[in-house]
This record gives sequence, structure tokens and C-alpha cells, in this order.
Amino acid sequence: MSSSLRLASGILSGATRNLFAIESAPSHRILPALRTTSRSLCRSYTQAQRPRCTQSIPNGFSVRNNFSTTAFRARAKTMGQLRQRNSTGPFSWKAALLFVLTGAGMMIYFRVEKARLERKRIAEMSKGVGRPKVGGPFVLKDLDGKEFTEEDLKGKYSFVYFGFTHCPDICPDELDKMAEIIEKVKESTKDDKVFLPVFITCDPVRDTPEVLREYLKEFHPGIVGLTGTYEQVKNVCRQYRVYFSTPKDVKPGEDYLVDHSIYFYLMDPDNDFVECIGRQDTPESASKVIVEHINDWKREGRPLKTE
Amino acid sequence: MGWLPWSSGGDSNKASDGGRIAPDRTSRARCWEGRDAFFACMDRNDILDGIKDDKAARQKCAKEIAEFEAACSSTWVKYFKEKRVMEYNRDKTIERIKKEDAEKVKELKSQGWKSS
Repeated sequence: MSSSLRLASGILSGATRNLFAIESAPSHRILPALRTTSRSLCRSYTQAQRPRCTQSIPNGFSVRNNFSTTAFRARAKTMGQLRQRNSTGPFSWKAALLFVLTGAGMMIYFRVEKARLERKRIAEMSKGVGRPKVGGPFVLKDLDGKEFTEEDLKGKYSFVYFGFTHCPDICPDELDKMAEIIEKVKESTKDDKVFLPVFITCDPVRDTPEVLREYLKEFHPGIVGLTGTYEQVKNVCRQYRVYFSTPKDVKPGEDYLVDHSIYFYLMDPDNDFVECIGRQDTPESASKVIVEHINDWKREGRPLKTE
Repeated sequence: MGWLPWSSGGDSNKASDGGRIAPDRTSRARCWEGRDAFFACMDRNDILDGIKDDKAARQKCAKEIAEFEAACSSTWVKYFKEKRVMEYNRDKTIERIKKEDAEKVKELKSQGWKSS
């Protein structure tokens, strides 16, 4: 009975039995000299530097220290076992598999951890001292005319975009992208409460709540539209370091365009800036980044608003 | 006249609180179609700048420019014309830089420089 299968299957069961034997019978200590007797199987414990002995396993199976050739050879009894040992060395396919799996597992773990720490570093960067701060206190009003401040963004990951409804081609493209991102994030987090997409107009004179409502409805019903007075909008743009060029005093009926920065700002539930999403990001890459940040936040067990 | 050429004026382009309503998805698409048709015509006639060469463009692409201007507000028309020139110059610049880079690399390599 010295087939390699038997050898391999014995390693695990033998090892567990052995452990059990040590625990259940700690008093079975014998002199080191007894280690050479054929019926007793002893193991030396390097930590304790003292020999312990356990009862032999009834089937006589003697593989105990399967990573040490010398100890094994001393115990091999038959020629078959010796030959078996010689042909495979200390390595069985089980050991090889264990080695490969452990290696692969560690590699995956380190990669995941590395990516997580990198994201954490980016997220922490904006919290540090002496960093340019993106975002801050503001007062605007939502589409129902209710006051909306930075406090209303807290507790959720907010996704802030600045634009104006008379924008010829870039904002509509970006808002279509925003709609796709909203759906993708909702799908992967299985939660539409953690993510708050916000559209702040840079053109408050023309973009009244009613105009904004009609405009945003065409992209995604979940986008929160915000507007305010010229001064309020100027303030929020300054907080988010958004450049915009809305003329202050326009005659009624005058048509004009607004130059403005075209980034999405991802803000964490503390309302600290996390990352910028720009023109170069696809809905896929953007939602991946966002979902990763949300999952990191959840994994750390930090609070999220769920209403 | 309304501020957008396709609207018949009056209150249809105004929100009840006085704001002016922006073009919706359909009007935007119509405007972009008009733009693409006009620019395609300009490409065929080798005209780049629709503002500087306004006269030539109007002559060669009379139908297209009429449709373009009917479908988009005048600011948008101006914006798209300027953007066309800007993008052309941008692409030219990128191309030039790439060419210069390639030549520089070639020159350095002939002097025994290794890129890695």
C-alpha cells in the first residue's frame, strides 16, 4: 500500500489526526531514545526543543513530517516506501498544488491591497494639510426652490458637474455619459441611495429651476439640478475651482455662450474631494473608479446616509 | 423674432419664470445634423473658416448654410465655425509636433543614441 495516491491522501488526514493526538494526550511524553522504536512516531518541536510522542496511527501510515526528507527516510520501513520516496523526493503533487495556490493567492491579495491603498492615497490626499481644497460651503436652490447647501451632499458619494443648458455640444455629451455612469453605479452597488449626481448651472440668469428641470429630465431623472443667484453660483464655482465666463449683466434676450471647466468632481460622504472624471474617461472606466471608492468606504465601515 | 430661429417667437421659448428654455434633445440633434452637412460641403469646396470665408461658403453651400442657420441659434453657429478652425489647427499642430519628434529621434539615432 504505497501508491502515491495513498501517500498524498494520508498527508492531510494524518496531519489532523496527529494534531488531535497531541492535544488530547499531552501527558504522553517519552524519552528521546524511544523515537527510534518502530511502533511509536515522534516529532521534535523546534520551538519547544522537546520531543513529544503520539500514538501510532492504526494503519501504520507513517508520513508525518512531509516537508523533511531526512526525518521521513529514517522512518520508512519498506523498500517500496523508500523507492517511492526516492522517485518523488519531498514533493508530491499535493505539495506542489498547495505551493502554487498559496503563491497565486498571495499575488492576488497583494495586487488588490495595492490597488486599494493607491485609491486610499488619492482619497486621503485631498484631506491632508496644505492641499488645495476642492469643494466647500455653498448655498444654492434645488429645482423645487428649496435651499440646498453642502450639508445636503454629506453622507453620500456626490458627483458634481458644472454646465449650462445652452451648451452646444460638450455638456450634452457629458450629461449622457453621466446618465450611463449613474445606471452603472446603481447596478454594481445595488443601491441608488449612495450616489448623488449633481448638476450646477454656471448660467443662473437663463437656467431657472424650470428650465433646468426640463433639460435634465432628458438625460436622467436622478440628476439633482442646482441654481442660484449670480453671486451664489460664482461662489460655488470658486469653491470647486471651476473657471467660468458667464457675463454678469446680460440684456434680456441676449444670446451668449459660457466657457467653463468640464470635469466631474467625485466627492466622498465627508464632502471631501476624491477624484476628477474628465472627457477622457469612458462611462465604464468612470463607474469602475466610483464603485471602487464606494466599496472601500463601505469596507472600512464608515457611515453612509441611506435615506 | 424669438431668440432661436426655429421658434416662432412669443412665449414658447420662455419658462414661466422668465428663463429662456434651451434647445432640447431633438433640436440639438437637428442642429448637429445641419452642422455636419454644412461642414461636409465646406470640406468638398476646400473652405476651412466659415467666418473669414463667409462669402465663399454662402455661395458654394447656400442650401446647407441656410439649413444650418435655421436649425441652430446664431451663437451656436459661430461656436461651431470657430471650433472647426480651432480643431483643424490643433490637429495640424499635433501632426507637426509628431513629425518633428520623429525627425529628431531619427537624427539622434543616426548619432548613435538609443531610445530605451
